[in-house]
Amino acid sequence: MPVIEVEHLMKDFMIAKRETGFLGAVKSLVKREHIKKEAVKDISFSINEGEMVGYIGPNGAGKSTTIKMLTGILVPTSGSVKVNGIIPYENRQENAKNIGVVFGQRTQLWWDLPTIESFELLKEIYQVPDKRYKENMDTFTEILGLDEFLSTPVRQLSLGQRMRADIAASLLHDPPILFLDEPTIGLDVVAKEKMRTFIKEINKERSITVILTTHDMEDIEKLCERMILIDHGQKVYDGEIAVVKERFGKTRTLIVDLEESSRSLKLRGGEVFKEEASRFWIRFNRDDVSASGLIAQITETHNIKDLTVEEPAIESIISRIYQEGYQDLPETVKV
Amino acid sequence: MFRFRLYWTFTKKAFLRSAVYRFDVWSRLGSNLIFLLMWGSIWTALYAGREEAGGVSFESMLTYIVVSQFLTGVNGAGTPLWEIQEKVRTGDISLELMRPFDVPLRYLFADFGSVAFYILTALLPLYTVMFIFMDLTLPSAWETWALFIVSAFIGFLIRYCIEMSFGLLSFFLVETGGIVDVFYFAMSLLSGSVIPLWFFPGWLETMALYLPFQGIYYIPNAIFIGKITGEEILLSLGVQLFWAVSSYLLLRFVWNRASQKVVVQGG
Ligand SMILES: Nc1ncnc2c1ncn2[C@@H]1O[C@H](COP(=O)(O)OP(=O)(O)OP(=O)(O)O)[C@@H](O)[C@H]1O
Ligand SMILES: [Mg+2]
Repeated sequence: MPVIEVEHLMKDFMIAKRETGFLGAVKSLVKREHIKKEAVKDISFSINEGEMVGYIGPNGAGKSTTIKMLTGILVPTSGSVKVNGIIPYENRQENAKNIGVVFGQRTQLWWDLPTIESFELLKEIYQVPDKRYKENMDTFTEILGLDEFLSTPVRQLSLGQRMRADIAASLLHDPPILFLDEPTIGLDVVAKEKMRTFIKEINKERSITVILTTHDMEDIEKLCERMILIDHGQKVYDGEIAVVKERFGKTRTLIVDLEESSRSLKLRGGEVFKEEASRFWIRFNRDDVSASGLIAQITETHNIKDLTVEEPAIESIISRIYQEGYQDLPETVKV
Repeated sequence: MFRFRLYWTFTKKAFLRSAVYRFDVWSRLGSNLIFLLMWGSIWTALYAGREEAGGVSFESMLTYIVVSQFLTGVNGAGTPLWEIQEKVRTGDISLELMRPFDVPLRYLFADFGSVAFYILTALLPLYTVMFIFMDLTLPSAWETWALFIVSAFIGFLIRYCIEMSFGLLSFFLVETGGIVDVFYFAMSLLSGSVIPLWFFPGWLETMALYLPFQGIYYIPNAIFIGKITGEEILLSLGVQLFWAVSSYLLLRFVWNRASQKVVVQGG
């Protein structure tokens, strides 16, 4: 059953020419001039209960704009949005009770309050029963280690602490839907891993529906089965990550270090695209030739000191899709 | 449905938070005192030993100044204009649109908390001492005290609505210097906070009487020192109520425009 339905969603920003001075302010309350910017152009998707979907796209693709429309703080220019049966912008306060939101770029906690007081305030705002509040706080404290900074004002938290506080805060009222806009931005490797584990658990155990935007493809690989790729406000791909990998992930790179330096290396089914002293980078298609076949060819004439086989990172596949489009991209991507 | 408990939480939190910023309380009290001394000596010099001017005794005038400084303390303990502008600029206010509460009301209730803290811990002790040790005219009837408190409270609401409305104008402007000037000019002069309206030249007094600002300082103060009495008080309270409602409507209008701008233009 879809809990999020988006149809032909569009958002144009009318960038207003700002007026100056007091009279300008009064005038601009009444009438102003604008320049148009299309941030989201005709995006449709639907997300089922309990799904965790990666919402991916380069800078300025329209990810945050879409998320904001789902939260109700932005009104679409046209098209329809439904979140848990509610039209967010028409019923912002009602929608707020169904969703948890984290904007990695900025906190939504009260800047000058100790973290724990922000939580207490949210408890009242969302009318979380005492018992449930305590259970949630216990769980989140345990997994996210909140206790080390609960009494610290939010403005003094480190980025990693702040992010943990923010995600805990977004879940206090048990929303069935969670929007995470870059929840791992600026985190170190360990903190990222912890955040991923937490998101995964929340999604599994509470069957919360999650939409996640990120620039870190590892987040997507570790958390999501499905991704929606957008670029310039339009949907480029919507489907399983495994399918993308299957389709474009056939290219392999074999890197060999030879005992002696060699002028050239000619191989059937492989193409040397880079060489440095006695090290060679050889690109091949997994369907045409196997790595061991290539190695066998090399050992006929050379001694191999060391070798590695690399498969393309989802990251580079995606950056190629951005550049060339999903349909136009040849299956053997040279990444 | 008005969820009193929710808004009351903001009051409690703001009250407790003020306790953390004790330096702020003391420094504000300090500057409040300095202004009190300044205006006290200016008016002493202006009276130049006369017992009476403009139909008001020196003692009443001094009382007016003290009460005015007290009200300045009360009104100054709320969220100031620059802080509202700051919250607009940083997007804090826009993000609060995502919460299930009404933003202007939430700030009003938070202000109740910080103002209550400031009154209880700083203003009340100081001004009580002042009233005991200085020769000031105190209302003799308890009704006058009650009417003063009611009037001061309505004045507080008028000021809140106007200050918030002015602050929210930063949603529509880059430069707000002009706005800030207009606001502070009206707040200090037209409100009668430093010079009582009866000393104004006729045209300025008429103008001030047609504006909401007199409801913030002049009316409660005039009630306190007995400049207006009896039915006049009720009339003045009526005028205040009119301005409270009007400035509330102004605030709602500006807020609707501001939140409309956020949801359409992204802040
Ligand atoms: N309030 C706004 N007013 C005008 N233009 C805006 C506004 N918000 C976003 N835009 C524009 O809309 C486009 C999409 O922005 P958006 O923030 O949705 O991108 P994004 O996909 O989240 O990018 P990033 O990965 O950098 O966060 C950008 O070109 C941006 O400049
Ligand atoms: Mg973004």
